[in-house]
Amino acid sequence: MTAHARALRARDLGLVACEACELVMTDPHRDTDDRLHCPRCGEPVHRRKVNTTARAWAFLIAALALYFPANVLVMMKTVQFPLRRADTIWSGVVFLWERGTWDLALIVLVASIVVPLVKLVALATLLVTTRRKSRFRPRARTRLYRVLETIGHWSMLDVFVVSLLTAVVQLGRFASVAPGPAVLPFAGVVVLTMLASASFDPRTIWDFDGQEPARG
Amino acid sequence: MADLSDLPEPVVRRKRRHLPSAIWIVPALAILAGAVLAVRTYLSSGPTIKITFENADGLDADKADVRFKNVPVGKVTSVDLADDHRHVVATVELSRGASSLAVKDSQFWVERPRVGVGGVSGLETLLSGAYIGVDIGTSTDRADEFVGLEKPPSVTRDQRGSRFELTATDAGSLAVRSPVYLRRVSVGWVTAANLASDGKTVNLEVFVQAPYDKDVTDKTVFWNSSGLDVALDANGLRVDAQSLATVVAGGIAFDVRDPHAPGAAPRAGATYELYPDRARAMAPPEGIRVAAKLRFRDDIRGIGVGTPLDLGGIQLGVVDAVQPGYDDATHAFYFDVTASVFPERLGPAYTAVTALAPGKPVAEALQTLVARGLHAQIRSGNLVTGQAYVALAWFVAPPSAKAGAIATDHGAWVIPTEPGGSDVLQKQVQEIVAKIDHIPFDAIGANVQGMTASANALVGHLDRDVAPEAAKAFVQAQGAIAAMRQVIASIGDNVAAPDSAIQQSTRATLEELDRAAYSMRSLADYLEHHPESLLRGRASGDEPRGK
Repeated sequence: MTAHARALRARDLGLVACEACELVMTDPHRDTDDRLHCPRCGEPVHRRKVNTTARAWAFLIAALALYFPANVLVMMKTVQFPLRRADTIWSGVVFLWERGTWDLALIVLVASIVVPLVKLVALATLLVTTRRKSRFRPRARTRLYRVLETIGHWSMLDVFVVSLLTAVVQLGRFASVAPGPAVLPFAGVVVLTMLASASFDPRTIWDFDGQEPARG
Repeated sequence: MADLSDLPEPVVRRKRRHLPSAIWIVPALAILAGAVLAVRTYLSSGPTIKITFENADGLDADKADVRFKNVPVGKVTSVDLADDHRHVVATVELSRGASSLAVKDSQFWVERPRVGVGGVSGLETLLSGAYIGVDIGTSTDRADEFVGLEKPPSVTRDQRGSRFELTATDAGSLAVRSPVYLRRVSVGWVTAANLASDGKTVNLEVFVQAPYDKDVTDKTVFWNSSGLDVALDANGLRVDAQSLATVVAGGIAFDVRDPHAPGAAPRAGATYELYPDRARAMAPPEGIRVAAKLRFRDDIRGIGVGTPLDLGGIQLGVVDAVQPGYDDATHAFYFDVTASVFPERLGPAYTAVTALAPGKPVAEALQTLVARGLHAQIRSGNLVTGQAYVALAWFVAPPSAKAGAIATDHGAWVIPTEPGGSDVLQKQVQEIVAKIDHIPFDAIGANVQGMTASANALVGHLDRDVAPEAAKAFVQAQGAIAAMRQVIASIGDNVAAPDSAIQQSTRATLEELDRAAYSMRSLADYLEHHPESLLRGRASGDEPRGK
């Protein structure tokens, strides 16, 4: 975006658009929290995503609460005769690394530990900076948000692996895989971070008093 | 830019409520779920205990677990050497529900495959690897350090049954886990076999499973049924075995002597005697023991420790020892036999015997029987094996003069002896031999010889006197036969010649007869035609026709 003397938002002009039929309306109730509806199609009209900050924070905190049990508890119980193992995510990574399959170890490490953590930290950063109406690199933060939305569902990898192995490897006493108690919280973390990022409205990144942001 | 004043306005449907957003339920729930998970994880991890073992054979950390009744109740998290380098210490993390087994008297052992004469155990650990077995104690005192057993305990606490103490002079082939049989059904096993503190007897502890432990009463007798019970005694050869397993592994059997008197429940802590074999166990209860002394001056072959003292078929006692001695006066060996007599085996007769010497020791009463002629004698019980027994029998009519002649010896019943039964037999044989000796075989031989001579003479006489006459007679007879032949030949000549007088006269006679027959026929014909002629005579002219 090139620099303009003024960067006006629709809100600054007292306008709001219906997200369903794109009817542009004036917004005389700008300072109220009233629920608006489109006079043409009847759909709700939002200036921003509903309750975006609260929802994003709520989902983020919920995800954070489940992040710890997801990493501390046993993810997968395996019987590979005569060994029996009960692996947390981290011990699984260590096991794979020690087995020499460092590529698999890295994949699991990134997908199951790094990505959820990065998502939590990044979303928290976005929410904090937005709340403080930070002018710090809004474009970079917007891109960060897009990346979060894109990679979010890939961190379900571990859950998929456990589900697949549980279904496939059932050789009784000799080899079997069973999900551990960490699977549900882990899936919860992934789902909640996706919900949190979906609740976040990137437009709020730019809600800093209509001033021209610093170049970013 | 369009004129913004013409744009429509959105419709306000409802005032927003200023209430806390419902979205905060989500993190609340998440925190709650996380807390529940954390608490549950904390609760499910039970206490950590340390168990010391001699070695860690087959015990791998992370692989081995702790099982009670084959239910996993914990897992071995590490196996380390003890500080003294003599033991290994297994650190076990018990699961939460199993924390109650970490009490003072719980027993832990490593379950491995074991092969013994009694069977194979722990075979499943060949595949699954060793695990730590546990028997939960009854104590309420908690503990977190245990000393593991090297072998599984022979009786775990959850097995119902009773333990009984046995004392034996010898453990035989009995060992821990040797089976205990009731009527050849395995109902228990030996749980401990230890020498008594004085080292003279063996204390055995047996466990009898419910409900068979009720069959152990105060009348029960236990005996060692190990191996083959081969007995060679006055009753002959007997072979007895409980089962093939006892032949190899040993075993204990029990029963009551009298099936009609099963007895009552035993006293607590009662100790039973373990008899060396069934015969001794089943022998009538010994009751009072009276020592007896016997002195034999003849051969005591076949008499030894355990030889029965027999009174009319009842085994009244048993020989305890045989001691040879030398009598300088008679220059002969003698044998002092000491025996145990159990007079109560006489049954009802016992009271009659004691009545003989009321108020005195039983030995005195028995001694009066000696005065009445009850003596001992060695008798052969089995001619094949040479086993003998000491028979108590009446030998002399009660001679009142000898009554009380023999006194008891320090409370021991002194039984005079008679020459042994084997001697008697020998004498009888000798008598038979002597009688055979008395048969006059020489005279009989001489007679037979005489008879033969006269027979010879007779034959000679016949030969000499009779034969020549006979020869003459034969010659004469021959002459007579020749004469006869001549007579017959002359007769034949006279009769058979065609021109002989007899022939001619005979022919003439026959012709005459022929004519006579013709005449007769003519007469018959005439008479047939003229039967009246018999009355009137022949009419004239009426000649009978004829040739």
